[in-house]
Amino acid sequence: MFVLAIRSIRQRPGRFLATLLAAFLGAAIIMTFNSLQDTASQHGIDSVSTDTLSTSASVVGGYGTLLVFFAVTSTLTVNVRQRSRELETLRCSGATPAQLKRMVVGEAVAVALLGAILAVGPAILGGRALLGAFKDSGQVARSVNYSFGPFALQSGLGITLLASAGAAFLAVRRATHGRRRQGRARTFFTYAALVAGMVSVTATFAFSATDAALMAAPAYGAILLSVGLALLAPRLLKGLLDRLQLTGASGWLAVRNLRERADQLAGILMSLILFTAVSTATLYMQAVESDAVKASGLKKSVDAKNLETLNFTVVGIIVVFVCVMLVNSLYAATTYRAREFGGQRLAGATPGQVLRTVATETAILTITGILSGTAAALAGIIPFTMVRTDSILPHQGLGIWLTVVTVATTVTLGTSLLTARRVLRTPAVEAVALAA
Amino acid sequence: MFRTVRRTHDKGPAAEALRLVKVSRTYGRDDSAVTALDGVTLSLERGTFTAVMGPSGSGKSTLLQCAAGLDRPDSGIVMVDGVEMTGGSEAELTRFRRGRIGFVFQQYNLLDTLTVAQNTVLPLKLAGRRVDRRRAQEVLVSVGLGDRLGHRPDQLSGGQRQRVAIARALVTEPRVIFADEPTGALDTRSARGVLLLLREAVRVHGRTVVMVTHDPVAASYADSVVFLADGRLAGRMHAPTVDAVAERLAHLGDDVTVGV
Repeated sequence: MFVLAIRSIRQRPGRFLATLLAAFLGAAIIMTFNSLQDTASQHGIDSVSTDTLSTSASVVGGYGTLLVFFAVTSTLTVNVRQRSRELETLRCSGATPAQLKRMVVGEAVAVALLGAILAVGPAILGGRALLGAFKDSGQVARSVNYSFGPFALQSGLGITLLASAGAAFLAVRRATHGRRRQGRARTFFTYAALVAGMVSVTATFAFSATDAALMAAPAYGAILLSVGLALLAPRLLKGLLDRLQLTGASGWLAVRNLRERADQLAGILMSLILFTAVSTATLYMQAVESDAVKASGLKKSVDAKNLETLNFTVVGIIVVFVCVMLVNSLYAATTYRAREFGGQRLAGATPGQVLRTVATETAILTITGILSGTAAALAGIIPFTMVRTDSILPHQGLGIWLTVVTVATTVTLGTSLLTARRVLRTPAVEAVALAA
Repeated sequence: MFRTVRRTHDKGPAAEALRLVKVSRTYGRDDSAVTALDGVTLSLERGTFTAVMGPSGSGKSTLLQCAAGLDRPDSGIVMVDGVEMTGGSEAELTRFRRGRIGFVFQQYNLLDTLTVAQNTVLPLKLAGRRVDRRRAQEVLVSVGLGDRLGHRPDQLSGGQRQRVAIARALVTEPRVIFADEPTGALDTRSARGVLLLLREAVRVHGRTVVMVTHDPVAASYADSVVFLADGRLAGRMHAPTVDAVAERLAHLGDDVTVGV
């Protein structure tokens, strides 16, 4: 089966591009930050430098692992779904479910290995640059030398391979076992995340304005709330659709399509909500914090600077990852609809009407995601601002939020519309016959 | 945008529902070029049921696609209901088809996200025409789906799905209904039901139906059969019977040169 796996990768490298990219980015981030751990564990380094380096390594390393898992799962799920017919053919020619599983997992591991190896070079460069930045800002002593050691290499390869294998296993199991039966577990996780998020957000008030750890409680709270809302997303979407009265054929079709596909779109909505919540909450809290420090007339401590660097890095990583995931899953979801679009065109829809339907669907999806994400972010931002300053809302204005919204909208609308336009280039009759 | 040939003030249907003049269509380029249609001239009167037959690769699907505005012929004229179809963008062709042309396909081509009733009125919605739900319901009742209005296509049998497709084609009251192997995926009984509905559309509702098929039994439901071989017309048969059609098909290669 492994031979088959390698052959199937070699025949269609394009299909594995998204998985490769996710594995590459993930491994690069994990190795970049974990090489700081290697650097810190060298002999003769002062404790402030060690502290800075290992804090960054552990926080971002942890985030990175989570993101690699999410991203690889999302790309592999899409990949397996697109290949359902090939897997069916293999099953009909006598492959057992276990053999299919080995094949898909084998492919994923091979791709992840390639991604991780490719990531070593960029990770060394990234680690050097990061160390340089820490030195320039005085967070790390000038005398510290960069080291890319066994810890970075092992954790980078290990985490990427494990996450890929696990994600592939879950994806193929979902594909071969038919539909979900996660109802109760999902409900439990949803409410657990929401309750834990509320508790964490409320805990903000237990801190004083100058506590170093003040930002942790609302930040984690906002993330947990956004996870809870993301799990609720299909239901939120359906609720919104029930209240929506859109006129015109495109709007009419869009509302009906979305209602039917709400569950399949859960992954896309989840990415959108997490993206909006994490970036909005982190950027606003950091802005409030920086302004408060400036207002107090004190110089920023090394800890505060570390926090700022970390916050921006985390947001940067999340933006890149979520963009990859959104582009990949929207591209796949839209390509998958060639036959449906063909049916619409044969029923009398002009290409413009099909594109307007896609645009309306994407807009509704994006609005739902942004609103949910903003709600979770506000739940973290408001308590933080109340404790850190005297006001309720940050004074930074809507600029950051508008930037986040613009990025999200550009990615979703851009991917959907460009893909749909490409799909529409196939004549309607062919599009309908291809997938028949 | 479209040249109206005969009826500038008369809004009634033209006597000639479909007319093709020297329509040719070639696929591919240079040495790999395949001539699917080679100067086909054909005229079908309003209120007739015509079957188009021929072996695989004879060009019958291309004929249907060119006549229905789904494909653009390289040369020749296509006129539907007295109006010439001029090439242009897909959007222009789509607008031309609305209200003039209805489709029934082998694979039904219903939208899975819509109910039976919603699928039926979809062409009206897309064309921005008034949706008469009572009329749509009447049509669905007449094809025997009165109790399936709220079902989705995947809850229906093949025969039922094809009847939804016929209802959808009827509801816009098109001048010509094109059916591409409408019984190709159906069992004999469902196929018979579908063919009777198509014949009823002609006899009762006065529609014009053009059906591409390879099945002599399906063709025997039509008023006449047009034979096609190597992209050219190879004869026409009125009041076809199953045996006569099968016999003629078996010897199609022999009389290509005989013409119409």
